[in-house]
Amino acid sequence: MRIRQWTICSILLAAACFVPAVSAKKKQPPAPDDPRRAMHALDRLTFGPRPGDLQQVTAMGVDKWIDLQLHPEKINDKGVDERLAAFRTLRMSSHEIAENFPDQQIIRQVLEGRKNMPNDPARRAIYQVQIARLQARRERQQAANAALPEVASNNPSNSEAANQPAPSEDNANAPAASDNATPPAAADKAPPAAASNPNSDQNSANAASTPEDADARRREDRLYADLAVQGLLDLPADQRYKKVMAMSADDQVAFADAERGGKGLEFVEGMNPQQKETLLAMNNPGGVILGELTQAKVLRAIYSQRQLEEVMTDFWFNHFNVYANKDADRVLITSYEQDVIRPHALGKFEDLLVATAKSPAMLFYLDNWASVGPNSMAAQGIRFYPPRRRPWLNPPPARRPRRDEGLNENYGRELLELHTLGVDGGYSQRDVTEVAKVFTGWTIDRPFQGGGFQFDLRKHEPGPKFVLGHRIKANGEQEGMQVLHMLATSPHTAHFISLKLAERFVSDDPPPALVDRMAKTFLKKKGDIREVLLTLFHSPEFWAESSYRAKVKTPLEFVASAARASGAEIDNPIPLVRQLNNMGMPLYQAQPPTGYPMKADTWVNSSDLLDRMNFALALTGNKFHGITVDAAHLAGDNVSNPADILASLESKIFAGGGVSQQTHDSIMKQIAPADAPQKSPAQPAHPPDAATIEGLLLGSPEFQRR
Amino acid sequence: MSITRRVFVRNSALAVVGTTAVPSFLTRAAFGSVEAGARPKRLIVIFQRGAADGLNIVVPHGEPQYYAMRPSINIPRKAVIDLDGFFGLHPSMASFEPLFRERHLAVVHAAGSPDPTRSHFDAQDYMESGTPGVKATEDGWLNRSLHGIPDQRSTPFRALALSPSMPRILSGAGPAVALNNINDFTVGGRSPKLSPVATAFEAMYDHSTDSVLHSTGEETFDAVKMLKAANPAKYKPAAGADYPKGRFGDSLRQLAQLIKANLGVQVAFADIGGWDHHVNEGSTQGQIANVLREFSQALSAFWIDLGDLGEDTVVVTMSEFGRTARENGNRGTDHGHANVMFVLGGRVKGGHVYGRWPGLDQSQLYEGRDLAVTTDFRQVLGEAVSRHMGNHELGKVFPGFEGQEKFLKLLI
Repeated sequence: MRIRQWTICSILLAAACFVPAVSAKKKQPPAPDDPRRAMHALDRLTFGPRPGDLQQVTAMGVDKWIDLQLHPEKINDKGVDERLAAFRTLRMSSHEIAENFPDQQIIRQVLEGRKNMPNDPARRAIYQVQIARLQARRERQQAANAALPEVASNNPSNSEAANQPAPSEDNANAPAASDNATPPAAADKAPPAAASNPNSDQNSANAASTPEDADARRREDRLYADLAVQGLLDLPADQRYKKVMAMSADDQVAFADAERGGKGLEFVEGMNPQQKETLLAMNNPGGVILGELTQAKVLRAIYSQRQLEEVMTDFWFNHFNVYANKDADRVLITSYEQDVIRPHALGKFEDLLVATAKSPAMLFYLDNWASVGPNSMAAQGIRFYPPRRRPWLNPPPARRPRRDEGLNENYGRELLELHTLGVDGGYSQRDVTEVAKVFTGWTIDRPFQGGGFQFDLRKHEPGPKFVLGHRIKANGEQEGMQVLHMLATSPHTAHFISLKLAERFVSDDPPPALVDRMAKTFLKKKGDIREVLLTLFHSPEFWAESSYRAKVKTPLEFVASAARASGAEIDNPIPLVRQLNNMGMPLYQAQPPTGYPMKADTWVNSSDLLDRMNFALALTGNKFHGITVDAAHLAGDNVSNPADILASLESKIFAGGGVSQQTHDSIMKQIAPADAPQKSPAQPAHPPDAATIEGLLLGSPEFQRR
Repeated sequence: MSITRRVFVRNSALAVVGTTAVPSFLTRAAFGSVEAGARPKRLIVIFQRGAADGLNIVVPHGEPQYYAMRPSINIPRKAVIDLDGFFGLHPSMASFEPLFRERHLAVVHAAGSPDPTRSHFDAQDYMESGTPGVKATEDGWLNRSLHGIPDQRSTPFRALALSPSMPRILSGAGPAVALNNINDFTVGGRSPKLSPVATAFEAMYDHSTDSVLHSTGEETFDAVKMLKAANPAKYKPAAGADYPKGRFGDSLRQLAQLIKANLGVQVAFADIGGWDHHVNEGSTQGQIANVLREFSQALSAFWIDLGDLGEDTVVVTMSEFGRTARENGNRGTDHGHANVMFVLGGRVKGGHVYGRWPGLDQSQLYEGRDLAVTTDFRQVLGEAVSRHMGNHELGKVFPGFEGQEKFLKLLI
């Protein structure tokens, strides 16, 4: 059925193209065999074409290829699976991640005897270092306290009231809270613990009673640890690992300290994945989780055959954004992408919405897990409720709620504004508050230990709620499901989601008529994302001349497309991850719930443009450790004349045409200056090689668009 | 959605930048005549990320409650640098004292955001977007603040962030440059002249018909060449401008350098972290003393370095919220509400502590625990934007804020 529609559509499209109309040329969609058609499809449905992609898509037929991309389950993606095999956290549950890569909460529990030390020797080593560091920190604090004048031993009672945490302070008191105070890009510059923890060694050392002594001691320790690490570097990888495992606890702490500043990465080269993770986690457990996740994202964008699924996973993650550095989200985020976003990327919007609403990562990020109904049993201090009665029908007598327990509107607001209806979606502040009441009790079973969704009736606000003119009768967890259904099927949501998809796939300012048609499909097909995309990909607006190269690439799209276009072989994606940090798009670290903007104005600025040019030159010039580009090979092994190299690379990188005359001429001028060579002695003796020419092409204005 | 782009004033002396090696126009004298009528104004915004403890920065030493609530981390009366008999500076901010005495430095106490959030994440967002309580605001107020101001110089350095990526406060439709390190702001190497690849890139973008990339490319290469001509490697700060080591000192040194190179900086932003002292905050010594020393020394070095350019410059400091009035059980402080802001500049009526002091009695505290906000942070910023920068459309810079009549009148 669909195929027949498709054929008709194609015939109509083709017929339309045969109509000779010079004046209407600009609005005419390209003919099906126009290479630009395949190029356009590749530009929009993938992270950029690789050499040879255009020919493949053309041979298959653009429409058939699009249909295949809409059904990723039919595409073999073994290649990328193999590249991801080394990242073990991708296959762990949140709980396993929390156990393997403990944060301060878990370490404190072990130190205080509330949790057992793990038996596995590798895991034990990770825990031991963290425990030793925590103990050292506490000792330094005690020393500092002792040094303070007139220490008042009676102050705890005095300050107890001040220390009653408000809901938002739960985050603040967690060790990683200071990351929230650091701009995302800066977070990468050093391991988070060392970079921004207020209790970091540096600060505490400064506060110590004899800072000079402590500093000197630490410097000496570092020096010896560095020397020991240097000595180990000559050993084979496996022996190196065993030596570290056999170290005393003190030496392991010194080793972990010596890993700082990226030295750990050098040390673990050649080790197996589990060994690498263990040694890196000894220094920075949380860094391993985010490190693997970011590397996997870059590798998937570049190597996955299921390109549209990756594009849509990126789109939805950004739409339902979660910030990796917000405390417990560090351990929850891997599963969020893997189990919540990707499985629904081309599925039903409502399923996706419910999955995000119940995901621990979202519940934590937007604070809903801490939201308590003002009249709930929890707020009233009622610990148990009669099991056979339905207590939410009989709200207990009003009492003054405890100060630190109350409604948190954060999720309620973003659910309406960012996830579904859109900011102009016709809701009021009252709706936000009522939705927040509906979702009270939607919480997490021990977030810092990677626990799952939990509905806690004790925290749930009793009584009916009124949302968008509807009465939601008191019904516990089902109230939330009812509201999510209402939102997922709202025409406002259909329009808002369609608009965002059109902004991603068509242009920064997509034609309203197209958005309306997509919204109609959304409602008719009950939020089937694949159907909405079909409407989009079959629209004349998508194929219009004005849409061709209308989008400026985001940093992620630029970096991935440059790697794809140059046929880069990536053994080590870390330089690409760092590049995105420098360009202001650190992966999984968009702080605001809006995610990263998709429009040009954010990404077109001076420092970004310079970064892109420098990256293009560094990439093709093989300046990144573990990334290989063979520009001469791409140009053709028999091609040696610079002008021919340029022509060949242009046809490979911009397969559908699209290099402007200006860009071509600018590079030509660089290759073969117009003035006679003998008259310009300043000209370099060696003409630019293939790598430089390729770098210039990847940094050109044309390559910044898709 | 269109991107506001300015084009270099082609007939100005600037047009020759980069095509020759003559940097003479980069000296202030060359521009002196051009700008004699309207001296360009500058607004510098400093963010103390992590919630600085305002009560230990400008200490209410005339307030007995202060000492009662902070038995181990108070700044003893004899240690503070008294300002007016009631307030005093933390002793490690000695470099601020002359600025205050010379009436260049004003203090605004009990300032902050009306939004009650105590989340770093939300509060910083609100202070940078300039719309407390509204999360959907896409751009930052410092970017919006330039929209209504004529852009005579048209330089790429008009709006500048000293950071690796564009901070929220400067993101938006107006062009802005994020620059982390002057020495890295180039293509294909640091040589004083443009490298051949840079020349090729410049030609591509210069001739491009892609209007968005064309203008950004053009302004980028203009900026690169202006910087190269200014020869940042040879920069020496003015005598007496001793910047402390660290990122913040580096940021301000580079900012002074760019301002003094006459690159047309109108608004700029820099930040300094390390204020989240939940544990062992310290008193006259310790964590807060160290970070305050770095903070105040960098700013006073910046002020000295600017010399007479300080006359047209206003610096405003802010932090997302203050900290609890009482110390906590760990000799630190938790997240609170109101805070202190500094305003530094030639046209500032300094030497005075502005704002209504709400008091620290139990009944006077916000939610029974924090210093109450009596000055909305937008009253201070709005006055700088309006009276100093000359943008009177405050409704667009701070949508929803009705505080124009409530200026503290701390600018001449």
